[in-house]
Amino acid sequence: MASEEGQVISCHSVDEWKQHFQKGVESKKLVVVDFTASWCGPCRFIAPILVEIAKKTPHVIFLKVDVDELKTVAQEFEVEAMPTFLFIKEGKVVDKVVGARKEELQEKVDKHGVLTA
Amino acid sequence: MAVSGFEGFEKRLELHFSGDDPATGKGLRRLDFFSLEKVLHAVQCTVVSAVGNKYFDSYVLSESSLFVYPTKVIIKTCGTTQLLKSVRPLVDYGLTLGLTLCGCRYTRGSFIFPGAQPYPHTSFKEEVVYLEENLPKNLSIKKASIMNSKSRYKWHVFTACDEGRTVGRVDVHASNLYTVEICMTELDRVLAKKFFRRFNDGKTGDSAGREMTEVTGIRDVNENALICDYAFDPCGYSMNGIDGNRYSTVHVTPEDGFSYASFECVGSVYDDKEEILEVLKKVVKIFRPGALSVSTMCPVGHQVWRGMSKAIEPLGLRLRSFAADEFPIIENVVFQTFTTRRK
Repeated sequence: MASEEGQVISCHSVDEWKQHFQKGVESKKLVVVDFTASWCGPCRFIAPILVEIAKKTPHVIFLKVDVDELKTVAQEFEVEAMPTFLFIKEGKVVDKVVGARKEELQEKVDKHGVLTA
Repeated sequence: MAVSGFEGFEKRLELHFSGDDPATGKGLRRLDFFSLEKVLHAVQCTVVSAVGNKYFDSYVLSESSLFVYPTKVIIKTCGTTQLLKSVRPLVDYGLTLGLTLCGCRYTRGSFIFPGAQPYPHTSFKEEVVYLEENLPKNLSIKKASIMNSKSRYKWHVFTACDEGRTVGRVDVHASNLYTVEICMTELDRVLAKKFFRRFNDGKTGDSAGREMTEVTGIRDVNENALICDYAFDPCGYSMNGIDGNRYSTVHVTPEDGFSYASFECVGSVYDDKEEILEVLKKVVKIFRPGALSVSTMCPVGHQVWRGMSKAIEPLGLRLRSFAADEFPIIENVVFQTFTTRRK
């Protein structure tokens, strides 16, 4: 969906999550998942930065998962500290950033989000 | 010693609040980032990176660190920051969240360049006056003391608390926890070089910081901790470690002439006594300082400082002074200084 490109998409249910995850697998695009918690200050710090990165990299899918809303997904990916960013390609986790580390985040989006020919 | 340079010695402020249900409330963690930024702006620093877990949030700042628990805030800043200017806004923001200030601790060592400090940090006396003017009136039990040593490096302590809390502690965290603050100067030059960025290394501050954590051995001080680190350009390093509800934090100013490093962590009086001694030894080996001070703040009845001089004497550091004092409500502060035998 072209309208979702360049945006951070919040998944509010396990079905929504599965849907977007599957889209990532099929499109072969890089999927960056931001695991966040409403009560975690560092997540609020990085949120606008992630929005900016998403705007500049429309060829990457950005998803946001609240660890309380989607407990099972957070547990599946063993998220213990927030924010945790997972980099997923074709269904597999290829990298991660634990913490609100904006330089590392940008670096890894650039590294893994290489435009496919 | 250089004529002027970056001031590594930090000012440390710890504020305790009451009013939120510690079991379910997130208390101060609910503070929005815009408000937090305003507090940091008053102090003249910014957030570099951050990470949180279910117990607390940690922030690496442009000038040290910030830790936000539901009912406790710890800010540590170096350079010429006006740390005490954070008191008023934090107390006010606390009130908006239904929290009232019930305790305050302010500590610092002696500045390498005291003349460079701005108001209200030009003297301890001025800092105490500022605190008394800006803390709410319910914090009526106060004590200010300069703990002595044989060198120019003293330890300054100010504590204030609400008299309503003299009957034991409500805060689950406080009863068994102690804080250790290690301040080091005259760092070994070769070891300090590891905290300089390599020219044109093509790395980000995050990844260069990660490398410094590994290469210097800081990673091994507590293997369980999740570390958020950063390497400043052209030199300097900061890290926060989070391990359950405990933090540790390291800050390094590596320049020769005013080199400085600090290590601070939290421990429990129920931990194996050897653990903190092992930590102390590891820290000494990472920096090999010419002078080191350890300040411990722990509940009365426990002596976490015991064994420290014996632990680091084989590493070439000899105990030069020892000072102990009691502060409200039920805290013991012990200040020990050490120097190498070349002194």
